Amino acid sequence: MMEHTTGIKTLADLKRIQEEVRARISLRDKAENPESLVQVKVAMATCGIASGAKEVMEFFALELDKRGIDAVVTQTGCMGYCFAEPTVEITLPGHDPMVFGYVNPKKADEIIERYIKNGELVDGIIPQNYNTIES
Amino acid sequence: MMVTLAMHMIDIVQNSLRAQADMVTITLDERGDESFLLFRVEDDGTGMDRISLERLTDPFFTTRTTRRVGLGIPFLKMTCEQTGGSLRVASTEGEGTTVEALYRTDNPDCLPLGDLEGSLLLLVMANPAIRFRFNYRMGEEMFRFDSGDLREQGIDLQHPQMLLPVKEYIRENLEALWRHRAAASYLC
Repeated sequence: MMEHTTGIKTLADLKRIQEEVRARISLRDKAENPESLVQVKVAMATCGIASGAKEVMEFFALELDKRGIDAVVTQTGCMGYCFAEPTVEITLPGHDPMVFGYVNPKKADEIIERYIKNGELVDGIIPQNYNTIES
Repeated sequence: MMVTLAMHMIDIVQNSLRAQADMVTITLDERGDESFLLFRVEDDGTGMDRISLERLTDPFFTTRTTRRVGLGIPFLKMTCEQTGGSLRVASTEGEGTTVEALYRTDNPDCLPLGDLEGSLLLLVMANPAIRFRFNYRMGEEMFRFDSGDLREQGIDLQHPQMLLPVKEYIRENLEALWRHRAAASYLC
């Protein structure tokens, strides 16, 4: 598991840690197919950063790994929902992207446990796609 | 509003990424004897034409279509000027852009540095195709981080389990530099 290691100061220290990490992950059967990965995109424009997007992105990166969920955590620009920052777009394999607003680490925890793990919808979804019904 | 320099760093680097940069160089140059900190982001992106450059500090200017304001540069200008410092932006179309903000460190309004290492590593993690160079200079001493060099050395900067160790590596080296900071400096 991910414990806090102390005394990492040189490149040699980093290489040592890298070897430990490599040994650990080769034991875990990591899916190589990107279609099977959960994609998490944190909006990181001025509005997002000012509202705490960095903490949210770090939380997703560390926690998804800790909880054994194969995911790619990346960033995106402003989606126009500046009022609801930090916003996060989550794409579960085989699903349409879902955008969540007002995400802090507590909300991120709920999103992981309920939406990512079980597909349950949680509060804070921003309706992003509007489909017009043709008459 | 940005409450740390690290937040500005993420924000200004986003501009370089949107300008299709392949290499981004971030420099923090702390000069105790002259009481200033120079924060610089240099990229090899598309650059800007003269008109964009002139309107850059106008909060109602943006190239985005999702909203009508662009506050990244205006905020940076505000936080450096509030310390008695200044902002300078140079850009050449097709060559790249350099943004430079000077903060007076003898002014109590000087921003705290914030989580530089965590912010840098998230940028590195989210943009594997970009080479990030981060230099922190303190007087005669300097710490250099180069995502390209570390990758060549076999460090997997994309792996979440490397996030905390690399963070600590940068932090330890920065703290060693900060020990040389003048007592009168408001930087923290």
